[in-house]
Amino acid sequence: MSYISPTKIDEALEVLSRGSGKIIAGGTDVYPSAQLGQHPDFYMDVTRIDGLKRISVSKDIVHFGSAVTWTDIINADLGSAFDALKATAREVGSVQIQNAATLAGNVCNASPAADGVPPLLALDASVELASRAQGSRLLPLAEFITGVRSTVLRRDEMVVGLQVPVPPSTMTSAFEKLGSRRYLVISICMTAVNLVLDQDNRITDARIAVGACSAVAQRLPALEASVIGQRPADVEIKPEFLAPLTPINDVRGAAAYRYDVVQEQCRRAIMQAASR
Amino acid sequence: MTNIKPNSSSHKSDPNRRQVLAGSAAVAAIGAFGLPVGAQTTAAPAASGAFASLGVPHVRRDGAEKARGGAKFAAEYSYPGMVYGALVYSTIARGTITSLETAEAEAAPGVVLVMTHENAPRLERPEPFYSSPTGMAGSSTPVMQDAEVLWNGQPVAVVLASTQEEADHAATLINVAYEEADAVTSFDVAAESAQTSFYAGRDLLIEEGDAEAALADAEVSVDLSFNTPAHNHNQIEPHAVTVLWKDGILRMHDCSQGVDLSAITIAKVFGISSAEVHLSAEYVGGGFGGKTVWQYHILAAAASQLADRPVRMSLTREGVFRICGARAPTRQRVALGSDRKGRLTSLIHTGTTMKIENNSMTEPFFEQSEHMYRADNMHLEIRAGTMDMLANTFMRAPGAATGTFTLEVALDELAERLAIDPIELRVRNEPDVNPTTGREHSQRASVDAYREGARRFGWVPRSGQRQGYREGEWQVGTGMAAAYYPYKRFPGGAARITLDREGGALIETAAADMGMGTTTATAAVASERLGIPYDAIEVRHGDNTLPGALIAAASQQTAAIGASLTAAHEVLLAELASLVPATSPLHGLPAAELGTAEGALYSLADPHQRIPLIDLVAWSESGTVSAEGQGGPISEWTQDWSMHSTGAVFTEVRVNSVTGEIRVPHITAIYDCGKILNSKLAESQFRGGIIMALGMTLMEGASFDERNGRVMNPSFGSYYMPTHLDVPHIDVGWTDIPDPQAPTGARGIGEIGMSGPAAAISNAIYDATGKRARDLPIRLDALM
Repeated sequence: MSYISPTKIDEALEVLSRGSGKIIAGGTDVYPSAQLGQHPDFYMDVTRIDGLKRISVSKDIVHFGSAVTWTDIINADLGSAFDALKATAREVGSVQIQNAATLAGNVCNASPAADGVPPLLALDASVELASRAQGSRLLPLAEFITGVRSTVLRRDEMVVGLQVPVPPSTMTSAFEKLGSRRYLVISICMTAVNLVLDQDNRITDARIAVGACSAVAQRLPALEASVIGQRPADVEIKPEFLAPLTPINDVRGAAAYRYDVVQEQCRRAIMQAASR
Repeated sequence: MTNIKPNSSSHKSDPNRRQVLAGSAAVAAIGAFGLPVGAQTTAAPAASGAFASLGVPHVRRDGAEKARGGAKFAAEYSYPGMVYGALVYSTIARGTITSLETAEAEAAPGVVLVMTHENAPRLERPEPFYSSPTGMAGSSTPVMQDAEVLWNGQPVAVVLASTQEEADHAATLINVAYEEADAVTSFDVAAESAQTSFYAGRDLLIEEGDAEAALADAEVSVDLSFNTPAHNHNQIEPHAVTVLWKDGILRMHDCSQGVDLSAITIAKVFGISSAEVHLSAEYVGGGFGGKTVWQYHILAAAASQLADRPVRMSLTREGVFRICGARAPTRQRVALGSDRKGRLTSLIHTGTTMKIENNSMTEPFFEQSEHMYRADNMHLEIRAGTMDMLANTFMRAPGAATGTFTLEVALDELAERLAIDPIELRVRNEPDVNPTTGREHSQRASVDAYREGARRFGWVPRSGQRQGYREGEWQVGTGMAAAYYPYKRFPGGAARITLDREGGALIETAAADMGMGTTTATAAVASERLGIPYDAIEVRHGDNTLPGALIAAASQQTAAIGASLTAAHEVLLAELASLVPATSPLHGLPAAELGTAEGALYSLADPHQRIPLIDLVAWSESGTVSAEGQGGPISEWTQDWSMHSTGAVFTEVRVNSVTGEIRVPHITAIYDCGKILNSKLAESQFRGGIIMALGMTLMEGASFDERNGRVMNPSFGSYYMPTHLDVPHIDVGWTDIPDPQAPTGARGIGEIGMSGPAAAISNAIYDATGKRARDLPIRLDALM
């Protein structure tokens, strides 16, 4: 087992083309889930690669390098559409975890309870991938994660960054998380909402995503469609809007309980986003 | 013997700290009861100024060393040539090891030894608690002596290597094959053959009158079932030991709650005398009943012997879950019958818990029901089933932690049916003498604790109607429950007092300080007894070469130390009397007519006649005066008196009507535990217990896979305890009435905080929502 810490993307892709290694950034998911003593041929640390720790904003795109940590997000100057993402950043693990763990790592780990995924779905985020053999490709986040702890990432490929189309300046957002204690907790479920309201306080754009209630977090298109043209206070969360969800019974909560709570989280997040 | 010095600590107190006490919980409680400050008096002249020690909130003597990182814990000692241990745990609950492939591990980098049952030295079975007066082991299960597997997680191999990482890695290269046998890993299955159990020298069965008939005839009654899960110990310091065999001595730096008993138990396993084991534990990062003898000590010492190398064995958090036991699950029934006025006619507290074949630790969850309330008829019984699992053991407030939950919820339900305030119901059943033994109370002010708690909390009396109200989507309620823990004092206490030329004293005792402040309290008690300033007292502890066989358990160690110091002081007076010169008026007075105070020996009859202790020490041949004493018979609680601590816990609870989230914004608790020796340490002990109870109520539970007997959440990531954000303001106070039968007036405070909050929270949840929670932990979805 070796530990490789390249400083250039090309170098990193060359390393990946060589064999079966594990990409690592903060290591906050990789190390705890490693079987004791069972290691890949190599770990490749991406946190020293030039440019990957950067958050950059161009005319059309907000770009998060794949070594951007939750703390970097908390400290970044981003518009109100990113408030949900920032709120998420403050609720992922402890401050120590937030200092080490990355947004891209959260996505690649592909836990159904990954806190980062719902707000990124609500931001229409895409994942930027690169490999030596096939160059780069861009995939919508919803297509990148395919199941519980599985993604389309190929063995010789790495996530270089996440792209978010620059949202309208009037877009606001909110994040709701529920756990069995106040802090340091795995989510029972969580909801992210991004909204645009017109001058009449009616919703003109809505993106609503729910996590920990299906194998992969997902948007709720029927709910999104139903709220268009409504005032936030009038929104009704009908059970059929939650039909795509498939929550399970586990030690953290019963499936029926998750349905009830998600309904409430959607309502709260809409009200909260609308009040910003 | 080795020349490592026993542990010692000394301390400079900050005189300003005493001013801080004004306005603190202690003074408020004293004021409320109109009690004299320092009601526990010693012989005149009265302690004052620099000599005042008891009740003073001295800071913990080990606090600064811990804050600086200077405190050395068991896994921080090292010796030349030391190697590190890692364990391989079984993955089946019962069966036989059919093969062990160790070649790859033995060839791995840094590996010094792989030990399995095939090459381990022959060892005796460890003596568990209650199997002998000195038994300190969690079970008598043989330690790596044969191919038999008795629980899922049992160590099946030890790897020693030059670094911890090499040992951990090599441990993963060992392949173990098993032939599985039928295992009992289901509570229901084991419960079918559960028998009335035996614990601490008695059958867990008490019957007075016909409780079932009285229940059936009762004018008002409740009959309720409860479930509580298994818990795991999670001390901040995982178990660890550093071992060295040298010059015929087995040297162990351990994290034991009872160094002497641990040393004796380990010596017997190795077939050596306890004088050949030198075991010390100066700093212990929390014990709570779990820092006793488990397999890791014995495996480390055996592997060290086999490899002829010093060994450090430091368990991972998972290791603690796999091999160090804790609280067993329970299913309890509490049924209460009463007349219309709330006088209990029937009290039934029965149920089932689990243990293993090789221990006799039955969670004694009916103890509070024996001692808290009078009832015309009683049936108390605990049955224990036997499961193939890790040995269960003591965990803070064994029995009372879950037993007060069930009893006190039942009382709340009965109070509601009777339309009587819950405090009033308890007052009406306050016993004049002990309800089951008939003995007189040594001191009991439960009712004062209820009343004072109610006053400070702002309790609104109720008569069958919920007082809960709504604030937006939050439902707010209040609840109360009584707290309970018995007084105990174990035999074996001893202490040595040595006076020096500078007017100071050294106290030596083999007691344990697991972080609760034993050395601090001991120095204060010694200061008071000897009449020597607190800062001039040095305390050495946590080493089995020191006097006594003490154990920090059952909240009794301070009483044991107090009795030992009293005895040693009597011997010291005789020593001092022998040094009095013929010219002194004190000459010829027997020890019984002498006392020490303000740095002097004096006549009890004429306190003005005195000789400074430094003069007496100077006249001695050796330049020191030393005396050792053993705590006397423990009959005060075993034969003579009913000695029990009680208290009252009040909580406010907020339940979110939409999500079921439970928040506990405020807890008030008042305790009647005898004299409080140090208000600062006491507040911390009480609060710590309450926080642990909060975790037990809302979060804690070992997820036990009944298919294979494996604990599924052996980490902080999945075994939840409260974080700082979950912990509310906790207001604690006490009656501070000395118990005349306890050696220092104090009955012990380590565990009572664990009893009461679970029921108070459950009762408050009912007040808020109208829903009763009778299973722990109370999860969010339980209230939806």
